[in-house]
Amino acid sequence: MTRTLTPVAEPASRRPPRGSRSALSRRPLTGMLFVAPTALIVLVLFLIPLGILVFMSFTDYPLLASPTLNGIDNYLAIPKDDLFLGAIKFTLVYTAVTTVVIFLVSFVLVAISNSTRRFSKVYRTAYFLPYVVGTAAASLMWFINFDQVVGIYNELLLRVGLIKEPFAFLGSATPAFWSVIVMVVWKFVGFQVLILLVGLQSVPRELYEAAEIDGASRVQRLRYITVPYLTPTLALLLILSVTGSLLAFDQFLILTKGGPDNSTISLVYAIYNTAFQSFDLGRAAALSIVLLAALILLNGVQLRLLRRRDS
Amino acid sequence: MMTKHNSRRTLAVLAALALPFSMAACSSGGSTPAASTGASGGSADNGSKLTMWVRSATDDFSTRLVAEYNKTHKNQVALTVIPNDNYLQKVGTAAGANQLPDILAADVVYSPNYTSQGLYVDISDRVAALSYADKLAPSHLAAGSWEGKLYAVPHKLDSSVMYYNKDLFKAAGLDPEKPPTTFDEVLTDARAITALGNGTYGFAIGGNCGGCGVYTMFPYAWAAGEDVLSADGKTATFDTPAFKEIFSLYKTMWDEKLVPANGKEEDGSTWQNAFIAGTIGIFPQGSPIAGDLLKQSTFDWGVTSLMAPDGSATSTFVGGDVAGITKSSKNVDAAWNFLEWTLSEDAQVEIIAKNGDLPGRLDLTGNKYTATDPRLKFIADGLVNGKTPFALPFGDLFNNPNGPWVAMMRGAIFGDNPDQAITDRQAKIQAGLDAANK
Amino acid sequence: MSTRTTVRSSTASVSFHLVSGALAIAFLFPLIWAVINSLKTPEEANQAPPTLFPHTFSLGNFQTLMTYGSGLPIYFWNSILVSGLTVVGTVVVCVLGGYGFARFDFWGKKQLFLAVVAILMVPYATILLPLYIMLGKLGLQNSLVGLSLVLIMFQLPFGTLMMRNSFESVPRELEEAALVDGCSNVGALRHISLRMVAPGVVTVSLFAFLASWNEFLAPLIFLNDASKFTLPIMLVNVRSGSYGAVDYGALQAGVVMAMVPALALYLVLQRYYVSGLLNGALKS
Repeated sequence: MTRTLTPVAEPASRRPPRGSRSALSRRPLTGMLFVAPTALIVLVLFLIPLGILVFMSFTDYPLLASPTLNGIDNYLAIPKDDLFLGAIKFTLVYTAVTTVVIFLVSFVLVAISNSTRRFSKVYRTAYFLPYVVGTAAASLMWFINFDQVVGIYNELLLRVGLIKEPFAFLGSATPAFWSVIVMVVWKFVGFQVLILLVGLQSVPRELYEAAEIDGASRVQRLRYITVPYLTPTLALLLILSVTGSLLAFDQFLILTKGGPDNSTISLVYAIYNTAFQSFDLGRAAALSIVLLAALILLNGVQLRLLRRRDS
Repeated sequence: MMTKHNSRRTLAVLAALALPFSMAACSSGGSTPAASTGASGGSADNGSKLTMWVRSATDDFSTRLVAEYNKTHKNQVALTVIPNDNYLQKVGTAAGANQLPDILAADVVYSPNYTSQGLYVDISDRVAALSYADKLAPSHLAAGSWEGKLYAVPHKLDSSVMYYNKDLFKAAGLDPEKPPTTFDEVLTDARAITALGNGTYGFAIGGNCGGCGVYTMFPYAWAAGEDVLSADGKTATFDTPAFKEIFSLYKTMWDEKLVPANGKEEDGSTWQNAFIAGTIGIFPQGSPIAGDLLKQSTFDWGVTSLMAPDGSATSTFVGGDVAGITKSSKNVDAAWNFLEWTLSEDAQVEIIAKNGDLPGRLDLTGNKYTATDPRLKFIADGLVNGKTPFALPFGDLFNNPNGPWVAMMRGAIFGDNPDQAITDRQAKIQAGLDAANK
Repeated sequence: MSTRTTVRSSTASVSFHLVSGALAIAFLFPLIWAVINSLKTPEEANQAPPTLFPHTFSLGNFQTLMTYGSGLPIYFWNSILVSGLTVVGTVVVCVLGGYGFARFDFWGKKQLFLAVVAILMVPYATILLPLYIMLGKLGLQNSLVGLSLVLIMFQLPFGTLMMRNSFESVPRELEEAALVDGCSNVGALRHISLRMVAPGVVTVSLFAFLASWNEFLAPLIFLNDASKFTLPIMLVNVRSGSYGAVDYGALQAGVVMAMVPALALYLVLQRYYVSGLLNGALKS
């Protein structure tokens, strides 16, 4: 009725029946006042710039000269853009792998962090810490750590005797791909763990206690209490993770520079290249719009699916 | 031998400089808004606040110049250093909004993009009025000019050369006073030094670094009498015997493991570390690392020129930056005062040469500082044989880690079919040039 | 029976700590390595192969940073200003917005919410140029405030979703009771809900801080004077020389410097994630 996006937001099934509107929701003007700052920022700093971007996509716009209108030429050229087309497949694979790995790892780490055992706070802090380092700095640190000559990883592996010769982590396509994944999981999984912990906080402890008294098993408690309450959080994380991976850029720019042999060019990297290496801002704008549309579509589908499962 | 380096564009500029200064004479009053014609010849030290952007590669160099200028002038320059990789993006964004600084420096291989788009004010007449106008580094004047007009003057000069580690030469039983002069000798020496073992290598390559390749490999081909890129930037010729020999030398180095194993991934960020640490025998790089080499004292080093495969001639890539006054500037005369000062003998010798950098004026390459170290003198003298390649989409085709030049290098050095790699990418590079010049 | 349980649980405990501890070390290693390297002399930090422990302890890498460009203190101060503005702005806008989305129905709600979420999906590097033009129209180019506004905008999707979820997990009955008791809407928000959504607010602040503290491209594009630059720009400048001039030691020192405030903030705030504050509030 009012929302199509609800699954992101609420554990719908645990809420009071929707039909009875509360005293609060019957004051639309007050509601508008609360969201006014959000609306203003969205309008001025997002929608209008987005409009400018759309305009740019209909122009021939060499980075340093002024734009001239060229109709839909930029969009027509996309099917012939090898760099961009090649990036689609790579980005999809990267997104799928990253999302699955991050989710799996984060569940293990949340189990540890949420435990009542000693040191669990220490462990939680350790898992989160990499997130405080900026992506640019983190990628450069890993770039050097991965190096065959000056890098610490090879040095450690050699000293322990696991390898005889330095291994080229970034030297060929497959190792480079997995090296990026390892770095990304290291850097971002702490974020996911923290959000999941906050999500767990919203599960009323009484429910667990009552379930325990009723003799529910651990699995049953997980299935019937934890998961439903965590669904909105999981949905939020899924969207953040998928969208974030589809837009991944910094880590490739610094860690692999799209290499070796152009094997790690992501969509945004291709767009960035078009704008700032090939000086074709119009084309880059068109690619951005296409990508934006695809992401909105994808997330819409994702939300609908999640919502259907939820109800 | 190396007469070709004065490209047609340079000649055009030099011709323009030699013209009678009719325009300059008309507007010498300084009341004409300088930006409108760019022809006024004023130079003002009137307490203006100026802004200047440089890329981080010239950080220390530019900081020294600006600090000294601010100390001795009423004008004050505020210097902003932008990371190399983001310079184009920053300039592009600011240019669109007419928010450029008064003075903008540019890498010589990118400057044609700026000059051709009219980012700079025409300073042909101001430069022509200088008594040493014909002594300014021709490579940089070429880079700073567009269609017969001059927009930028030399800011920083560097030049690629071949360094070698004399201690390692001695240890390998080679004569430390006889650097290699042909590709055969480079290879033989590299083998002997690698044979020392213990983590030493004969040579080092930046196998994933387009800029490194351009800077150190183009000169081999120039020395062999090839253009590589035509003077008008419209034709590329890599499918040549010289380039086959160049890539074949590097391939042999790689296959025989005469270079460190990270050569294939080296994107330039740690390229020089091993040589400075003393574990590389022969290392093609540029004049900027001479300063670092002078500071270390663990080994003795020498320098020679980049040579044609058969050793018949030598050449160098003259790189660095030019600086011009942007169309956004409201203080053109004051900005020119700064640029003029940077070219003065005082600044060129007492600030630039004193710190081991190359002066931007050929009449000052021999100075009291180069006189104290024959190696610095050698590098400075080599400039005469130098070239700066020109192509509008230079960054996209050559520096771009995903561009065709990097693919050619990697295919020809690490791949199984070098000839195929050269032919294929030659076509790609040519297509890129055609697209940009249509 | 009881001894068997003890044995089993102590085995479980040992394996728990083995796994958790090993994972913790793996996660911390690159950071510890950065600290170790930053304390080497600049020469040793760039040595190949690397030394495992500093032969000579030195603050040389930090000194390099102190005197770099306008000097570390200036960049540090700019970063604190930008992060502070961004955190305060993000929290205010997202708490209000989250509450509005969670509790009210109004015209255009769905559309506005979609627009907020869409911010997540726009390729960052390309929207910066239009944003730069827009800030110019607002007279906010080359200003730390303009930069903070942009950073707040990029925090909106996460912040709004987070706060909306938080408010929705608080029973409305409590607020409605407060309304009946004569509190205004803002009063109800302040007195009742805000305490219960504290973990959400803390989370939003922390991530707004980290994002703005570490942001590199936006400050670089939106600021024109070196005197206004933030810490990450200095870091990238330090590490990018010409060909082959990464100063590894200074880079690691910079990473350490950037890490310390973020780490401190996290340690101060982390109790909100554990203490069950929300449940405590509900019970009282």
